[in-house]
Amino acid sequence: MHDIYAILTGPLAWLSFAVFLGGSLYRFISLYQLARKKDGAVFQYMDLKFALRSIAHWLTPFGAKNMRMNPAMTVVTFAFHIALFIAPLFVFAHVVLIEESFGIHWFTLPDSVADILSIIVVLSCVFFFARRIMRPEVKFLTTWVDIVILIIVAAPFATGVWVFHQWAGFPTMTLVHIFSGELMLAIIPFTKLFHMFLFPFTRGYIGSEFGGVRMAKDW
Amino acid sequence: MTDSTPVPDNEIDDQGIIQGVEQLSPEKIERIINEVLSEETGAKLKVYVDTCVHCGLCSEGCHYYVSRDKDPKFSPAGKVKQTMWEIMRKKGKVSPEFIKQAAVIAYTQCNLCKRCAMYCPFGIDIAYVLSVVRRICHRLGVVPLYIQDTAHSHSVTGNQMWVKDDEWVDTLMWQEEEARDEAPNLRIPLDVEGADTFYSVIGPEPKFRAQLIYQAAMIMNAAGEDWTMPSMPGWDNSDMCMFTGDYEMMERLKKMHFEAATKLKAKRIVMGECGHAFRSVYDMGNRALGWKMPPIPIVHALEYYHELFSQDKIKIKHKFDRPVTLHDPCNIVRGRGLHEMARSVVNSTCKTFIEMTPNREHNYCCGAGGGVINCGPPFKNARLDSNKIKAEQLFAAKAKGAEVVIAPCHNCHGGLEDIIHHYGVDMELKFLGDIIYEIMEKPEE
Amino acid sequence: MNTTVKQMILLFLISAGVLIPSFSFCDDYMNIDEEAFTKKQRPFVSFNHDEHNEMAGLEEDCALCHHMYEDGKLVEDESSEDMACSECHAKENDPKQMELAATYHKRCRECHVEKKQGPITCGACHKKVK
Ligand code: HEM
Ligand code: HEM
Ligand code: SF4
Ligand code: SF4
Ligand code: SF4
Repeated sequence: MHDIYAILTGPLAWLSFAVFLGGSLYRFISLYQLARKKDGAVFQYMDLKFALRSIAHWLTPFGAKNMRMNPAMTVVTFAFHIALFIAPLFVFAHVVLIEESFGIHWFTLPDSVADILSIIVVLSCVFFFARRIMRPEVKFLTTWVDIVILIIVAAPFATGVWVFHQWAGFPTMTLVHIFSGELMLAIIPFTKLFHMFLFPFTRGYIGSEFGGVRMAKDW
Repeated sequence: MTDSTPVPDNEIDDQGIIQGVEQLSPEKIERIINEVLSEETGAKLKVYVDTCVHCGLCSEGCHYYVSRDKDPKFSPAGKVKQTMWEIMRKKGKVSPEFIKQAAVIAYTQCNLCKRCAMYCPFGIDIAYVLSVVRRICHRLGVVPLYIQDTAHSHSVTGNQMWVKDDEWVDTLMWQEEEARDEAPNLRIPLDVEGADTFYSVIGPEPKFRAQLIYQAAMIMNAAGEDWTMPSMPGWDNSDMCMFTGDYEMMERLKKMHFEAATKLKAKRIVMGECGHAFRSVYDMGNRALGWKMPPIPIVHALEYYHELFSQDKIKIKHKFDRPVTLHDPCNIVRGRGLHEMARSVVNSTCKTFIEMTPNREHNYCCGAGGGVINCGPPFKNARLDSNKIKAEQLFAAKAKGAEVVIAPCHNCHGGLEDIIHHYGVDMELKFLGDIIYEIMEKPEE
Repeated sequence: MNTTVKQMILLFLISAGVLIPSFSFCDDYMNIDEEAFTKKQRPFVSFNHDEHNEMAGLEEDCALCHHMYEDGKLVEDESSEDMACSECHAKENDPKQMELAATYHKRCRECHVEKKQGPITCGACHKKVK
């Protein structure tokens, strides 16, 4: 237990951050270079104003027609993504670990709030999973990779809750928690989770096309 | 009500596709696919494929999906899954049979209308992805017969409908003569240098709808427009090569068209009421030629009519008195934002205007666009079954009192005509030009 | 019974409920620096000082934890048993005492990891009150 803990919080933690940051940077640069080489026009049509206009609409809950057509999905996906960022960044346990290692800390959430946010993430993943197997149009697009990714995303939150509530076997679960969190970070650059970085560009580009050339709304 | 039975999706009765596929070998497929993917595409395609989170939210955006009882095979991402995902996953090692299906999907199950780009949270441009599939099929020689025939016509004659050079001039002169009965001073000025307006039309106008040239001449005449039409190839602004994936030909055609106007030192190009032709000169063709925006101002008929009314260049006797509704053509609404101008013109010319819903950017495509109607009879039934929602939309407008559908786009006309007939909607279809011609004051002498 | 008597009995029961458990702990277990943490989030760590040090063989090595620093330098041969950790490690105006907590965590866990013994996860020390 102690050895595994040492590895998980030592070399593996560094490795996962390195893979996450390095991998993201690598993918970013290689896509940028490819775009420069092959899709020069994209840079011609990109327009900051229209890009931001489109992004703003799509980051506003119910800001696009499709969001109003799928209210359940909209509520869940916003709750999911907000909780997904807020909980790990501001949960006391993480911040205190950062303080221990680097001597810096920032705002922390009351544990009960972090707990609720984590539960929201887990339940959202259950919702996404249900959607994936119940809605034919989503099922048609689903591969086993989608399911595995969903599990990997839910895992750090589910185990976080487990550990926080000190349910049976929680010390071991802490190790699982740390590992699953590291795994999740590490796969981001190489899976569809990379959408977190590409979103501003895909949305921004179609926003620029619609705004600047097509003079139409895209929401 | 229906005069057809749905064609099963796996039965293809198109010789262009069937014979094209017979000539394929797995090696050729792999080579061509990898050529297209590595030489003609780049980060854009990669990002669109990699970013997609497989959420299915684009489905409701597509009239095929909605009309086909939410069959996931017809959802935008569903169509990409059956084509591009597979192609990329297998790095081009797909079978001739696969290409056959891919061609049917890319050419006949997507109008490239870009509505789904407004429904995907990431703004993934499915129409672009499916255009790449079309490009691959074109390079493989697997293109539906009827649309390939129009592409051949483009490459031989410079126009879509095998109109011969003398036939073109004859048609113009014939329309001029007819119109002079009504407006004795009317001219269709040919090859006038330095005119304000260079007027271009699509191939089917001289072939089947010469009346539209007549009407345009009457309108230009009444407005006192300084205009001209070219006597030589370059008069046709349409472009089926853009839809088959024959981008080299698209470039040639657009070049001919732009050059015809610039040779005559025209100040601008005004085009007839066509959506896809507008897309080809304003969006795709100019880009292929290296112009960020068209090299010479492009004015769609709708914008031109708007100019006539907002600048009082034309007078009307009375407003058109039957209740109308308006179909927003994708290529000039999602493609150029002309929807408010369209409403302004409709309100200037018609007494009662009834909106269909959804409308403006969110209007459903007529199902004909993207070259789908040009794939002809083998796919007609499938096309009509794939746009039930358009019929419902029309029925709803009719229930609110609309009797006439205005569709300022040739393709939309074709598509809507078929839908109105197939589903027994029983509404009349008009161009804006038809209405303006009908109600305008024609100068007597 | 009248109301006053009822209230008296209730008060007694409540005090007993609070006092008895705390008395029974107070010989061996201590809640270190309890007052420093004004805004408590987790159950307090009850630390059995003597038992821990006996098991860990630390009876002679008080200064390992109760160290003494001056001008940022460790002062050898001096120890600080008579001081509370918070006298040095607490920050003013931080009700959560993040740095103080981190100091404890590091002190305990680093040793536990090194010796491969003792609790290392949050919950193993901050035991939930059942
Ligand atoms: C280096 C990697 C990580 C370490 C060392 C770590 C460590 C911890 C620890 C010690 C806790 C406290 C458990 C308790 O309250 O007893 C915790 C809670 C939590 N962790 Fe992590 N974690 C890591 C990565 C992640 C990641 C990547 C995520 C999610 C993206 C995550 C999400 C959470 C959440 C949401 C909680 C709070 C659960 C709750 O209060 O209900 N952790 N983590
Ligand atoms: C700026 C950051 C991000 C943005 C703008 C964003 C946006 C989106 C959008 C638009 C969707 C589409 C489907 C839906 O609405 O649920 C989505 C889905 C999803 N996102 Fe994100 N996302 C971001 C970051 C993340 C991160 C960091 C993760 C996890 C590590 C994540 C995990 C997911 C998952 C798992 C889904 C799919 C749900 C399903 O399976 O249906 N996202 N995201
Ligand atoms: S037909 Fe239109 S909505 Fe449907 S997939 Fe094609 S571009 Fe998207
Ligand atoms: S909505 Fe966008 S991300 Fe979701 S499945 Fe469709 S194309 Fe993919
Ligand atoms: S034919 Fe009309 S409705 Fe259809 S795609 Fe073209 S412009 Fe859109």
